[in-house]
Amino acid sequence: MSEFIVNIIHRPELAPEYAEKLSGQGKVDDIGRKSLLDESLEIFRFQQDEAHKNGLKTTIQMTYASLFSQEIIDMAKEYHEKYGDEIALSLLGLPCTQFREKYKTKDFCIWMFSMEDKKAIVDDVFGKFREAFGCDPESTGSYYMDAELINYIKEKYPSVKSAVATCWEEGPKAYHTCNNSWYTFLDGGPWAPWIPSKVNTHVPAESEEDDSGIVAIPHLSRDLMACYDGNGSNFGTHPQNVLRGMIYEDGEYPYLYNLIDQYRSLEKYNNGYSYNMMFVGPGWLNKLGRWEAPYELLKKSYEDGMAYYGKLKQEGKLLDMTMAEFADYYRQKKHYTEPEVALWRDILYGSDKQYVWYLDPDMRVGINADLGGAIFDLRPYAAKLSIPVGIGTGNPANASYPFLIQDKYRAGYFTHYAGEGTIRSAKLTCDGQEVDLCLTRSHAHYAKEGKDTIITLDPVEVVFAEKKIRLQTVYTFTEGSSAIRTDRRVLSLTGEGGPVEIQDYITACYGTNEYSEDMTGIVLTLSDGKRQKKIDYEYRCREEELEGGKVEAAARIPQVNTKLGFTCGAENATGHIREGYAFSPMFTLSFTGTLQEKEVFTTWLNLQKAD
Amino acid sequence: MAQSTKGRLNYRCPSCFMRDLDLDMFYDEEKKEYYCLRCQYVGSEEDVLQKNQMARFRYKDMLKRFDRFDFD
Repeated sequence: MSEFIVNIIHRPELAPEYAEKLSGQGKVDDIGRKSLLDESLEIFRFQQDEAHKNGLKTTIQMTYASLFSQEIIDMAKEYHEKYGDEIALSLLGLPCTQFREKYKTKDFCIWMFSMEDKKAIVDDVFGKFREAFGCDPESTGSYYMDAELINYIKEKYPSVKSAVATCWEEGPKAYHTCNNSWYTFLDGGPWAPWIPSKVNTHVPAESEEDDSGIVAIPHLSRDLMACYDGNGSNFGTHPQNVLRGMIYEDGEYPYLYNLIDQYRSLEKYNNGYSYNMMFVGPGWLNKLGRWEAPYELLKKSYEDGMAYYGKLKQEGKLLDMTMAEFADYYRQKKHYTEPEVALWRDILYGSDKQYVWYLDPDMRVGINADLGGAIFDLRPYAAKLSIPVGIGTGNPANASYPFLIQDKYRAGYFTHYAGEGTIRSAKLTCDGQEVDLCLTRSHAHYAKEGKDTIITLDPVEVVFAEKKIRLQTVYTFTEGSSAIRTDRRVLSLTGEGGPVEIQDYITACYGTNEYSEDMTGIVLTLSDGKRQKKIDYEYRCREEELEGGKVEAAARIPQVNTKLGFTCGAENATGHIREGYAFSPMFTLSFTGTLQEKEVFTTWLNLQKAD
Repeated sequence: MAQSTKGRLNYRCPSCFMRDLDLDMFYDEEKKEYYCLRCQYVGSEEDVLQKNQMARFRYKDMLKRFDRFDFD
């Protein structure tokens, strides 16, 4: 039986991040304005009423400011008793007069504080919570919770079992959209709930020893294509984000329901379970409206969102849970190495484009069916990078998990005039002509066989002047293995002309944003145990090759403590390594061989911790 | 000339919106126009609304309700 779980979260913020900026235009900064406080409380009450009206329970995330208000404390207790709402504690919503006076700062993102301040703030906020409710909370959260912070909270407040811990692909794109003034760099994490590793929050725990002790949920359930390809802030289970994207007409926004329904459909790939989270901060229901959307539309969209979840519940298609309830459910439902998979289609632009997302403790992988099944995003979770973030760490704000492939930040197949972009694909050549599989549009299909997750692309045709080849790509991910197997099945090979050669390749680099990093220190090798060739990266365009089976082409990338190994099953294949240059700061690992009808050209891409 | 203010609604620059930038516009009472602080866009409320509608050109399925998400 399939189950679709939803977490509805509200926070009585009192000084909403957005509302102060919006409603305060033309006034001096006064975070304690009475009108702002009154309006914030009214918004919280409205949100709660809408959920309850539709038969949905909520998680109330108390903010620091709200813990100074007996009125809100009493309201929360009443909601808890009457509706079963969970009273949790948010590390969002820190800004208020009391906080600013005590900490002498306008910072409000918990992961950006120094570790010393993080501990002090956590103890302060948790202490106030205990004072108000006589116990510690079971759930907490922020836009991002770094591993050191989670570890501290779990050690000091072991009752905490759940946290909002990242926002999927909120990173440089959000920064850009906000006129380079919104510093939430959180790319590279999971899109659905997971158990974070003790070492890095974005990495799913691989075992009990690695388990941080909490179940993490993402801030919103975001469109797994639109948020990657474009501005991430418009495409999530957040009705006012949809309005922000102007994805409505005459007060109608079917996209919001399509988004929820597509998330529901993900149960097919995840053992009968799917998940949604809606978390609208009070600033989004500002009486003055939000950008061009008047208050009436903001309000209506929230009512409609709640009503849709309520309708699904009534039809027996949704289970509403509090965060803590969900944490218990999740630990019963999933095991550590179990992958999370999403086959996602475009539901907005009319492109018929499909992405496949795969995630486990070793990797996060994105496959673009519209690029012939090329891997367009690759995160080496196997390296389990410790990336402390916050003031005093030398890294005040960047919590993104690095990529090896990111085809928006480092091009993909298409580059301007010169150089290469990051992508994992294959080129076919025949009689001097060359075609990259990135130019073959396809669709993907999912299958599960034992521990294998199998993604099969529809066959594609590559047409040369004298020859035609029909080829199918199949990816296999085996649970517990850090290797990605790729089969290129030759279904037919017809026509005259010379042999068809394949170059199965990965072009990669490393980074967390659009700008190139120093590649010095990367070592490329070819080895079969007896022979070895090596290139120390110096931007000199060098290439090496090694013939014969059992060759491994590898890249050691010390900057992200990752070894990327590439092997091939064809005995007559030749391994290649290629260094880039300053205008194309990439490296390429590849295997070449000759394709034969009805044969399969198999390669394995293996992600490992380098040391 | 007095300082600019926000308009009746808090319009964003339609030109910047189309390049994934959310930029609040301000209103010039004297010229009766909204203007962008980042780019060269200026326009009346009517023009802003018209350009906002234009920005939706890319959402071909904006009003379509999908009833299945099957990949097979």
